[in-house]
Amino acid sequence: MQVVDRNREVRTTAVLAVVCLVLQLALAPNIGLGNGRANFGLVLVGSVALFSSSRHPVLAGFLSGLVFDLCTTGPIGLMAFCLTVTAFVLGLEGVGRGAGDLGSAMARFSVAAAAVSLVYHLAMLLTGATSSFVDAVFLRALPTTLLTVVAFVPFAYYLSRVRAASSGLGLSRRGSHLSGKGL
Amino acid sequence: MGSPKQSAGLRELVACLVVSVALFTWSCQSGGSGPLAAIRGVFQTVTMPVTYLGAAVSSPLRGLGNIFANLTADQATLTELEAQVSELQAQNAELEERASSAERLQGLLDLQDSNDLRSTAAHVISGSTDSWSATVTLDKGSAAGITPGMPVTSSSGVVGQVVSCSATTSTVRLLTDESSSISAMVQSTRAQGMLNGSASGEVTLELVSTSQDVEVGSVIVTSGLGGVFPKGLPIGEVASVSGDPSGLYLDIVVDLYADPWATEEVLVITSLTDDQRATAEDIAEADAQEGARSSEDDDTGSDE
Repeated sequence: MQVVDRNREVRTTAVLAVVCLVLQLALAPNIGLGNGRANFGLVLVGSVALFSSSRHPVLAGFLSGLVFDLCTTGPIGLMAFCLTVTAFVLGLEGVGRGAGDLGSAMARFSVAAAAVSLVYHLAMLLTGATSSFVDAVFLRALPTTLLTVVAFVPFAYYLSRVRAASSGLGLSRRGSHLSGKGL
Repeated sequence: MGSPKQSAGLRELVACLVVSVALFTWSCQSGGSGPLAAIRGVFQTVTMPVTYLGAAVSSPLRGLGNIFANLTADQATLTELEAQVSELQAQNAELEERASSAERLQGLLDLQDSNDLRSTAAHVISGSTDSWSATVTLDKGSAAGITPGMPVTSSSGVVGQVVSCSATTSTVRLLTDESSSISAMVQSTRAQGMLNGSASGEVTLELVSTSQDVEVGSVIVTSGLGGVFPKGLPIGEVASVSGDPSGLYLDIVVDLYADPWATEEVLVITSLTDDQRATAEDIAEADAQEGARSSEDDDTGSDE
């Protein structure tokens, strides 16, 4: 059962990764608020860290951030760094914590999104991509946070309610119960 | 069990952070070139179809967004846009005028080059100040080396002759002026005559013998006789030819190429080269035609 759950978890994570990549490439450039764009790499990290019992959320965060950097014109490695840290922090509180608890997951994700956007755009300010603090924070970081949180809502709803109800995405409680049984 | 897991997680975290920082540093140092840029280029090339698909799918949404933005545009935005439109229209008109001027000046340059004219360019700044003369005023005068008697031409054809100069302006008597009279000839047959203006503005080529063959549409050019106008400058075309069979000369009306009232830039020919003067052969031919006219005149007189 553990093997089956793990395989399903890997498949689901892979599907999420592909969906987020397509959305990052196809949707994010065309829907903006001010100068902000949704960060589907962060959406993927939130989905994996909060709703998955993946054993490698940090690796998922690193790869997600790296792909995000390759999609943009900013320095490579910056978003990889941010999402690596984010995945670690979100995953610290126990795997699958967000399962069935949409509000809590949204709250934690919103904080993470605000932090990542702020750090990223301040770093871009320091590297000279923009010379205006107001532009970096209020016209880029803030709109990016809002759009990313909005983009995360359907993922969070699906993973916390639908998947949890169908026992599909390695829920922590069920996963650990099964693990206990396996012992 | 948790400790090995946590250790593995920490090792993974440290490794990913180190790699991220290394990539970030390398990326900042290499700028837009190097292996990282190449990798990014390959990645973006591979994912381009997805990007295009997204743009195609979202284009109606973007259109809606524009419509919404336009609907909610405030009065200040509309006022600013109207001001920009007015400014751009004025700039466009100015640019069109400059383009037209550049085209005319290029025509003058081409004329200068093709005819090897020693000349100076000038602008027409005003027309006649009285109703008795057909003249225009140029924005250059004696200070620019212009003297009375110098011929004036445009890119289309001969305009007239300088009749007076001040330090900074010159007055040009147009070919249509009643007092204007320059030596000209039919280009194809080399029939010599005098191009004269009139009070009505009509320009005629006179003193062309009825024995000469002149057709409507024949090109009239300067003959170079007299050493004032260069030889071969275009003047106009024959508009009509008529003549009394018993008369001596043809009545030839000429349509000028240059419209003096629409001309803005002209060339004032300051000196002639030897090639531009009438040759001895040209003078001999003119004398021969003059001799033929005199003989016909004498015959007519003796018949009477």
